[in-house]
This record gives sequence, C-alpha cells and structure tokens, in this order.
Amino acid sequence: MSARYDAVVVGGGHNGLVAAATLARAGRRVCVLERADRLGGMAAGGAFPDGTPMPRIAHLLYNLSPAVLNELGFGAGGPVETRALPTVCLDPEGRHVVVRDGSPVLADGRPHPEAEAYRRLAARLVRFGGLLARLADAPPPQVSERLADLAGMRRLGPLAALGWDFRKLGRGDRREFLRIVLSNAHDVILDELSDGPLAGSLAADAVRGAWAGPRAPGTVFSLMYRLARGGGAALPLGGMDAVIAALADRARSLGAALRTGAEVTEVRVEGDRACGVRLADGEEIAAGAVLVATAPGAAMRLAGPAHYDIEAVRRLRNMRAKGTAAKLNLRLDGLPEVPGLGPELLGGRLLLAPSVEQVERAFDPVKYGRVSEAPVIEAVIPSLTDPQAAPHGGHVLSAIVQYVPHAPEGGWTGAARDRLRDVALAALETALPGLSARVTAAETLTPSDIEAATGAPGGHWHHGELSLDQLLTVRPVNGMARYRFGPAGHYLCGAGAHPGGDVMGAPGRNAARVALADATAGEAAA
Amino acid sequence: MSEHGRYDAIVAGAGHNGLTAACYLQKAGLRTLVVEKNDWIGGAAVSRSLTPGWTYSNCSYVCSLLRREIVRDLDLPRFGLQVIPYEGGGSFTRDGRHFGYYADPAQLRRELRRHSPRDADAYQRYSRTILRQCRFIRPFLLRPAPDPLSARPRDLGELAFLLKRAHGLGSRELGETIRFWTASIGDFLDEHFESDLVKAHLAGSGIIGTGLGVYSPGTAYVLLHHYMGDVDGAIGAWGFARGGMGAISNALAAAFEEAGGTIRTGAGVEEILVDDGKVTGLALSDGAEFRAPIVASNMDVKRTILRHTPRAALPEDYLRAVERFKIRGSSAKLNIALDGMPEFPAAPPGASFLRGDLHCSESLRELERAYDDWKRGRWSDEPYFDMLIPSQIDPTMAPPGKHMMTVFIQYAPYELEAEGLRAAGNWTPERRQAMAETVLDKIEVACPDIRRRIHHMEIRSPKELEDEVGLTEGNIFQGELTFDQLLFNRPVPGYARYDTPVKGLYIVGSSAHPGGGVMAAPGANAAREILHRIGRAGNMPDLAA
Repeated sequence: MSARYDAVVVGGGHNGLVAAATLARAGRRVCVLERADRLGGMAAGGAFPDGTPMPRIAHLLYNLSPAVLNELGFGAGGPVETRALPTVCLDPEGRHVVVRDGSPVLADGRPHPEAEAYRRLAARLVRFGGLLARLADAPPPQVSERLADLAGMRRLGPLAALGWDFRKLGRGDRREFLRIVLSNAHDVILDELSDGPLAGSLAADAVRGAWAGPRAPGTVFSLMYRLARGGGAALPLGGMDAVIAALADRARSLGAALRTGAEVTEVRVEGDRACGVRLADGEEIAAGAVLVATAPGAAMRLAGPAHYDIEAVRRLRNMRAKGTAAKLNLRLDGLPEVPGLGPELLGGRLLLAPSVEQVERAFDPVKYGRVSEAPVIEAVIPSLTDPQAAPHGGHVLSAIVQYVPHAPEGGWTGAARDRLRDVALAALETALPGLSARVTAAETLTPSDIEAATGAPGGHWHHGELSLDQLLTVRPVNGMARYRFGPAGHYLCGAGAHPGGDVMGAPGRNAARVALADATAGEAAA
Repeated sequence: MSEHGRYDAIVAGAGHNGLTAACYLQKAGLRTLVVEKNDWIGGAAVSRSLTPGWTYSNCSYVCSLLRREIVRDLDLPRFGLQVIPYEGGGSFTRDGRHFGYYADPAQLRRELRRHSPRDADAYQRYSRTILRQCRFIRPFLLRPAPDPLSARPRDLGELAFLLKRAHGLGSRELGETIRFWTASIGDFLDEHFESDLVKAHLAGSGIIGTGLGVYSPGTAYVLLHHYMGDVDGAIGAWGFARGGMGAISNALAAAFEEAGGTIRTGAGVEEILVDDGKVTGLALSDGAEFRAPIVASNMDVKRTILRHTPRAALPEDYLRAVERFKIRGSSAKLNIALDGMPEFPAAPPGASFLRGDLHCSESLRELERAYDDWKRGRWSDEPYFDMLIPSQIDPTMAPPGKHMMTVFIQYAPYELEAEGLRAAGNWTPERRQAMAETVLDKIEVACPDIRRRIHHMEIRSPKELEDEVGLTEGNIFQGELTFDQLLFNRPVPGYARYDTPVKGLYIVGSSAHPGGGVMAAPGANAAREILHRIGRAGNMPDLAA
C-alpha cells in the first residue's frame, strides 16, 4: 500500500491533466495515472522513424477553454505560443479559396463572389457558438424535481446566464438561433451559399470526427460548437506535445504527482464509495475521490457495473461512439510545387471538401462499413510555420481523413490499411499534385488504431457522438450528466462528459470543481 | 360575365384542413366560401374511381391522426364517416421469412419470441416509451405552438402550459423525452432490438413522407407523428375510412354545407388580392373574383406566398423565410386494382396481419441505402413500401371477389436525375413505369403472383402529386417535419399563429403547426386563431379542453 491521495485521476490526457491541476490548485493531494508511456492521450505526439516529431492524432487548437487558461494561470496567450492559420479550401479545379478572420478571398487574390454572404453566415455562427460556449464552463443545466428549492434553482443557473446573453442578441438573431440551432448544416449553409469548396469546407468543419453527414439534423450545433471560440485554428509551436507538456508542468508545479505506465484496472469501491484504485501490477492507491478521464463505458467498467442501476448500465452501453476519422501522417523530403498555392497558403489549414454534396457523399459508405473513396481531409504542414516541427529538414504533413469506419467489412488487415493510405494520398494528390513522390515515411492510424492507442471507444475523439441526443443534460447519458458517476466519490472528467471533446479542457475542469465542492461539503458535515 | 361575390371568409383549397377551418368559421357565423381548383374536393384525402368498380384512396390511404375531438365536435359520423380499425401488419424477406406484427399482445409476443426472445422483452419497454411520448404530445396538437420569444399573454400562457407539462415529467423522464425527440429511429431501435427484420418493420413510420433516412436524427419524432393518433381511443391504432379517404373530406364538406357554407370547385386561386397590407379577396383562374376580409389558404406556405400573393405586399425577410422553407418530395404511390386476392405464400394461412400494412424491407441498412439513392436524385433500388389491401375489410372499395391495393413508396425524388440533370420534368411516363416495375419486383417477394393480378394500376410520382393535388414537390406533409420547421418555427419563425404579414391572410394547411397527416388540427387551430383575432373566439368550442 502506497501513499494516500485526496484524489486520483485516471488517464493523463489533457482533461485528466486539467482536472489534476484544478484539484492541486485547491490544495488537494492528487495523482494522475496514465496507462501509456507518455502523457497526452489524443494530444500525445509521436515520432517518425528518423526521429522527426509526429503530430500523432490531434494537430490544431481552436477550442481551449478560457476558464481553464485563466484558472491555471496561463493568461490569454494560452499554455504555448501559437500561430493562427488561414483556412485554405482546396478546389480540384484550382480555384482555391482562402479564409482569414472569417473573410474569404480567392487564392489568387481576387475577391470571392460570395464573400459577403459567407462573412454574414460565419459571423452569425460564431456569435451563436459564443452563446453556447456560455454553457461549457459549468455542469449542464438540469431541471430538478423540485424547482422551488434553492439547489434546484442553482442547477438552472447556466441556463439563466445563457438566457441573459440570448436577450442581448437582436430580435432577428434570436429567431434565427432558435430556428437553426437544431438544424442541419447542409440546409443552413446552402441557404446562403452556392455549393463549392467554401460551402464544403464549412460543412466539413460541422462533421469533423462525427458519424454524420451534413444533412443530419444536429450538425449546425456541432458547427457552432467548433466555432465557439471565434472559428480560428491555431498551430501550437512545438506541436500538441508542447501543450501537454505545459499542462503537465503546471499540474506538477501545483503539487500533483504524474505517473505514466500505470494502468488502472479497477476503481475500488467500499460502502458505495470510491476509495482508490488498483493497478495492473497489483499496487493499490487509496484516495478520497477518483476522477476518470476515460470514456464513460470504460469508467463504469472500472468501478464495476454492480455499482450502477440497470438503467444506467443500459444507457451507457447504448451510448453511440463510432469514430469515422483516421489519421495519415506523412514525412516529406520536400514540398511539391503547387500552382496557385505559395508556401504561405500551403502552411494554412488545408481543407479538401469540394462541396457540401460531396461531404455528404463521403459519409455514405461508412454507414455500411466501407472507406470513402473520395474522403474529406483536413491537412496541415506544421513544418512550414514551426521550425521545431521538422528539425532535421524536409517537411511533415498531418491529415485527418474522413470518413473511415471503425470496423470495416473484412476488418483492418494490412491491405485495408494500405488501401486507406492510398485513397487518402490520391485525394490529396488531386489538390497537391506531386505530393506522393515526396513521401519518405507514412503512418496510417485507423479509428481502430486510435481506440487501441487511447482507449476512446470506436476511436471517437469525443468519446461519444456529439449529437443532440447525447449533449448537455443527457451527456454522457440521461441521469449522469453532472460528472458524478455512480458510486459517491467517482467522477467522469473526460470528453464523454459535458460539454464534450476537442482539446478544450472544460470537462476536466468542471468535474474537478464538482469533486471539490463535494469534498468541501463532506468536510463541513464531518 | 365573370362571377363576383362577397363573403366574410374564403378558404382556398378544399383539403381536409381547409374544410375543417371552413366548418368552424361558418359555424361561428361567418359566411364562408371554399374554392377548389379540382372538379372534386378533398385535396390529398380523396376517393377516386379511375377504373369502373374500384375506388382508390389515391393519395393518403389510412386514418388515425384525425383528431377525435374534431370528429366528435363536427359530428362527422352523422355525415357518413366510419373508421374501421385494421389489425397489425407484416414484413416479408427474400428468403421466405416473415414477421407478423399482430394486434393481439399475446400473439405478438409469441411472434417476437420466434425472432428473438430478447426482443420480445424489449418490446414491452419500447411500446411503453412510445405510448408515454404519445401521451405527452397529444395535448399540444389542438393548441397553438408555444413561442418562447413572444411576450404576448396568450403566448406566455402556451409556454407556461408546456413548462408545466415538461416539469411534470420529472427530470429523468424529461431527459428521456429530450433524447427521444432528438434521436434517429435507427439508433432508437438499435438500442432496443436485435432482430433486423423486427427493426425494419418498426422503422418505416420514422421516414414516411420525409427527406430523412432511418439514421437521421429527428426521425424518432417522425415515428411519433405517425403514432400519436388513435382509432376510437386506441392510441397508435390505424384504420380505414369506409369508402376511402374521401369519406373524411365528404363528411367535412357535408357538415360545412349543412351549416350553410358554399363550396365552389373547378377553378383555383390565380391571385390573392391585397390592398394596403390587407387581404381583400381572391381572383380565380376562371376569371371569377370573390371579396372577403379573411382568406384562409389550405395550400402550402410556399405556394400561397410565392405563387399567389403579390411580392410587393410582403416584407423581404418574410419572403426569404418562405423561400427557404423546406418542402421535399420523397414519396410516390401505386394504386392497384386487383382481379383477385394475391397470394402470400410465406404467411401462415388466414393470417390476420395481412389485413394490415405490409412491407418487404429486411434491415435498417437496406432502408438507409434507399435514402442514399434518393439523395442522389434517384428512386430507391430497394424501396421501402407501405402496402395495404383495404378491400379485405371495406368491401365498398372493389367489386365482389376483387381487391384494391395501395402502395406508398419511399423514396422517390421530385427532381429526378437523368443524363446528369435533376429535374421534375425527367418524370416521363417511361421512367414512371420503370419505377413501378422496381416496386413490383419487390412486391413479388411477398406475393409472387402480383403482376398477374393487376387489372389496372395508377402510378404517381411526386410530380403527379404536385400537379394534381397542388402539394409542392408532392410532399405529403406540406413541409419537412424537422426541428427547424416544427412548433414555433412552423411555417415561419414569428408567424406560427397561422398568420402572415398580410392582414387577414392565414395559412391553415399542414404547413402550419402541428404539421402533416390527415389530422385536421392545423385547420381547427387556425380557425380558432382567426376567430380570436376578430373577437369571436367565444363562437368556437374549446377542443383542447
């Protein structure tokens, strides 16, 4: 039996680290246990065979919670220095579009014919996204059985804050918000723009990581979710690894212990109260609270289904998490000459989504367990912006490839994996001719590989589909939305909890605050 | 010399909602005229005889949603309306299996156990949830939609009603309700059942009439929209109107005429006349003009506003909102006169479920694929269909020994793709026939002798539904039933109380809350709203009470 902690955090991804730092900052003794040999989970980096750093899964920042930054003392600049990237909507015909600060122009500098319509639409979505972001920094609103009591009223607090902001919108905006918030991206985009790379890119942002096409109701919500912090995307200098390192340093400096290679096999429960964890090597660590950053299903299994009522077990088992995003990481010995795309644009966030219609069409095969033949891709070449990205020269390209099934017909054989790489390369080749010839090493990560590496069910980067029936009050599932997870002292602090995934940190922070409030209340009672 | 006249109110379109609104206006003391473009009344609730001896319900074909409060209040049975419940339904597979959705609970349980013992247990939970959701929603149907953005006392009252009902559910049940309203029917069924055939059988109601697939969020609500009716108080039950769906329209028309109203057929609306922001009457296609301070349009909102109302009379943002209102054609129909009862070799002899709705879809995957075809502008290779032979129960539909079959088909696009172009004009007779052959091939899965039994067949693509009935794109709901077009957003945000920016012009068809189906709720709700605005609300009974 080793030391006793006030809290242990299971999982050293960004949410686990944020939770630990939040607890440590409040003076709690806390220990993070990460199964893998390095911290970071989805944001952990890797390396190509020649030692060049590889942005393994996540590659950009766009949604970090300001509350997290503020409370952990990072300031508005964030944990690491970043560079804002323009979005480049690639067009197989060569009429690429560049979006900077919500304003599109053609890549050759000419004005975009739909610039004004796009600006209006994007600004509105950002405005609405900001409204939704109000809900991210607190547990989701909940209607109490007894509205009259004070605790019940407090649970409606975030809704009241939202209502206040909502009132500040103009009347037209208010009507429009209520019309489109549950709507589908296909209609909302094509009501304002003609179909093409610009519209397609917006649609691609609405469905990135999702098991949904832009025609699915609810995709406007996910688009707003993504645009909640203004809609820009930033490349962290030093990669996502640097973000993780900064979070880890902060947690450590606040007093948290961080252990890697420590696989938790069980959350120990006594008298319906979580009291510690057991590791794979048999070590037991006692703790007053256990915060679990894994996916909800795994968190339940760690504590044991016996500690959940049968409805909760059923709901957790039914939570949908079918990842559709694969990763292709390329080591390049140089860059192809792409007419119309200079190094500055090539260094942007490259989106291959030629039209809304084609994004929808790319989704269809995945429903039947097949890889899309014309995938939607978000690619970045960090080495054009960040000298640390390829210290030995050459370049690195990181691509999120959609849609790719988690469990394809026939399974992920070596041949299927090679085929995925070839399909993705061929798609990139349509906009970046000559790219394939520059590849010296490639790593393909299927959703199934991502699941193996991070434990995310289905390889889904939100730990569970971010769809309307799994959001807010019913995330991860109905009745368990406020981070308390089964036995007393057991909390869910990962992306499966409200408000959801992306490198945001809000679930970790919110869960830690609930745990702290419970601990304080417990101490006061004792 | 063209005809002129002056009325207190004119209803444009003699569909079931128009006639319902007309009944209530007339009974409240307004001299009311109904005008109809076709030579017959009924809109999409009609009985037509297209081959001697047979009657087709050639658009809508089954009855359940018609609000019983309205049936009772207007005393429609006295005017000949008789709804005969039918029992259950069934699905057939290519390899000769079947699933009988028996109405008798014990028999259904045995049948479910035959497919999966686990599903038999899950069905209890499933049907409880559906029934609970139906109970939750039904009280809202005969009230205006609560509008969270309005501060008018009447709207606040509706909002308070909603909040009270929602709070009454308790937090757990409210969570389940939120999930149900936002889920896809595919996911909802996957959570409950394991048998593909059982799931496919139950999923159909989630997609009928919509431009959504079984895995599109919001389709669980569409299922509810088909289940929230009743026959004689049996919630979720379906029935046939004796003599075809036209019996509903005919009963409404008879009630209207008995109250003193006038129906004029054979000429549709040319223009809605507007003067100084107020409606003044209608000009008809045959040159006739009628004056009235109130015009209630049973046409869908796009047709009413974009085709027949002077643009100058409407604010730009309202026109924009109507333009982007989504009305998507997604269904087609076959109406078949059979010279004998087709054989269903896979069904047990004398199976009662053959008198219900029959399908040949085997899995949710197959249904989703059918939707993918539609998205590309093609009719489904493996279409979903909802097939019934009402003449087994209602002998008035066909000569003795003969039968009438109605086949509702999902999906068929309005703008058909051909030679790289999508256009409604691509629905040539040859292509219509080709679609029918695709459907008949699939019907042969259930009844191999179907082709030999056909005495006469009417094929209706979305284009015919539009041309004949006047439904934009042939959409049976006069507008998609998606979140952005339901409740206070239907048909136009800020105009959910059946009104328009033109004073005296109202939308009373299925484009308005609570939406489509032969329900008559939009018509009745609209009449109440109109009467309220002219200070005569007391002249109409409170149906919601």
